[in-house]
Amino acid sequence: MQLLHYRSWQGTFHSSWWAVWPIARVALGTLLRRKLFWTLYSFGLLLFLMFFFGAFLLAWAESQMAVSGPQLGKMGDPGRMMRGIRSALRILNGSQDTFQYFFAYQGGIVVVMLALAGSILIGNDFTFKSLVFYLAKPIGRWHYILGKCLAVAIVVQLMTTLPALVLYGQRAFDDWEYFWHVNYFIDNDTGKGPAGIVLLFGILGYGTMLSVFLSILLVATASWMRRTMPLIMVWMSLFFFLRLLANILVDGLRYNVRWRLLDLWNDLTLLGQGCLGYASDDISPKLHPEFWEAGLVLIGVSVVCLIYLNFRTRGVEIVR
Amino acid sequence: MFIDLQNISRSFGNNPALIDVNLRLEMGRIGLLGPNGAGKSTLLKILLGALPPSSGNGRLLDHDLASAGVALRRSIGYMPEADALVPGMQGAEYVAFAGELCGMARKQALRRAHEVLTYLGLEEARYRKLEEYSTGMKQRLKLAQALVHDPPVLLLDEPTSGMDPAGREGMLDLLVRLGKDHGKAILLSTHLLGDIDKVCDAVVILHQGRILCQGPVQELCRRRQDRYRLQIQDDPTGLLEDLRLEGVQILHDNGRGEYRVQVPASWTTQAFFKLAQVHDVVVRGLQADDEDLEELFHRVIQETKHI
Repeated sequence: MQLLHYRSWQGTFHSSWWAVWPIARVALGTLLRRKLFWTLYSFGLLLFLMFFFGAFLLAWAESQMAVSGPQLGKMGDPGRMMRGIRSALRILNGSQDTFQYFFAYQGGIVVVMLALAGSILIGNDFTFKSLVFYLAKPIGRWHYILGKCLAVAIVVQLMTTLPALVLYGQRAFDDWEYFWHVNYFIDNDTGKGPAGIVLLFGILGYGTMLSVFLSILLVATASWMRRTMPLIMVWMSLFFFLRLLANILVDGLRYNVRWRLLDLWNDLTLLGQGCLGYASDDISPKLHPEFWEAGLVLIGVSVVCLIYLNFRTRGVEIVR
Repeated sequence: MFIDLQNISRSFGNNPALIDVNLRLEMGRIGLLGPNGAGKSTLLKILLGALPPSSGNGRLLDHDLASAGVALRRSIGYMPEADALVPGMQGAEYVAFAGELCGMARKQALRRAHEVLTYLGLEEARYRKLEEYSTGMKQRLKLAQALVHDPPVLLLDEPTSGMDPAGREGMLDLLVRLGKDHGKAILLSTHLLGDIDKVCDAVVILHQGRILCQGPVQELCRRRQDRYRLQIQDDPTGLLEDLRLEGVQILHDNGRGEYRVQVPASWTTQAFFKLAQVHDVVVRGLQADDEDLEELFHRVIQETKHI
């Protein structure tokens, strides 16, 4: 081994914030190399395609009703039939319902994916003692945490917000009025809630809220559990058993509706519905806490996670 | 001044890892020697600014350890004892990633990574996955990621751990060159005396969290007037017998005609040659046998036990 041509490096160093993106990029790279990711992504894609082509199905049904309406007169009022079809397919018409259902279904797949990917994205740094590699570089531990959160947030955005924006764009291209007119659905009597730019911001808000919360939660729980199976169990407890418990307490035992705040997924959905412009009466389940209460719980959980991460990534961790 | 520590202590719960460490070291190749659990890794992490001391303060290259974390680490290349690899990456990607974490632009980091890997003899393995690297290659790769941003200081935690003899020799040669030819200040933490002997010109001995002694190796090792290395040709049986009768202790026989002996107070070197002449034996070499690093280490540890 010879060091005959060692050359010193002369260049300028960027600030520590520049390291955030490489951390996120490398974490994403390790995830994208896994077949599991692409399997779950294709499930998400199938769901997206269902929504995407469902809009065409609705348009086709409407055009068929317009042409064949008179012949269908014997079977009933064509207007009523169309309303029935629209009601059945209301989750495909580009309204707040479309995006609420889309985020809910896609979010489920995202949660499963994150539970499986947590150890790859974050846990391995603790298992393989790579944390010392990061923290020995001229970055702070918050740069590291931010980089990891960014990687998770990108995965969430790729699975939820990005396809939701495509669905929104598809609807806007179909009818420009949808993009400009906030009361598009109410004025046309085709649905509820806002359209246009308000809905666009609602989608972005829902996606951002989902990515921020899930990324902080995943980074904290994955650095705690490290391995895949324990992480899956923790996420099942958070998103399945707590949901079950909240439902039993509120719907079964008729406890105060605030007990539903235990259900983190419901808190996320509730805030998401708030972003999409749902009125309190239109929210499902009917017995639900206030938006601000759900927001407070999510902020509280996030703060606890950040405090834990601050503790977890201290130098103590890297000393054996 | 390379390192200046004043009353640094660090505890983990009720377990003290470092106790009242005072250290003043000039730039150079310094060995940090101590048995497992002596507090070497803890000291390195404090010097790295990754672990705050429980009490005391210190400076490394004029950076305050308590407050200059990022600026401090920009001047340091740290080679951890653990693998600390990112699974799934290739060697070149990994080193370039280390460069990016140090603030280098991506293209520059990649170019520099290739340079450093070539210097370290890993040019043919740079596109291999990290999982496929041997222990020796991993050690060199860890050195590459520490060198990528060309820091003036290298903190090396057990750099030859798990390496075969040839690989170890190569690594130690490399460290000597980095220090001598390229002006890197090196703090080499190890429990292998041979590593320090080969690379370092000063040593700090750490035991149970305390510094037992520090200074240039030559000065710390006692010059002994009563020990010699004696090299003999021919059959030495008669000579050795007579030496014993004269009160000379044979401390070590390497089986190849070389002996370490301890002589009584009134002994003169001429006596070796006189006895050799009597037994018709050729003395090929005779030199004063100063205390080596191993003896220094054991003496210092023993002295501590007596205290």
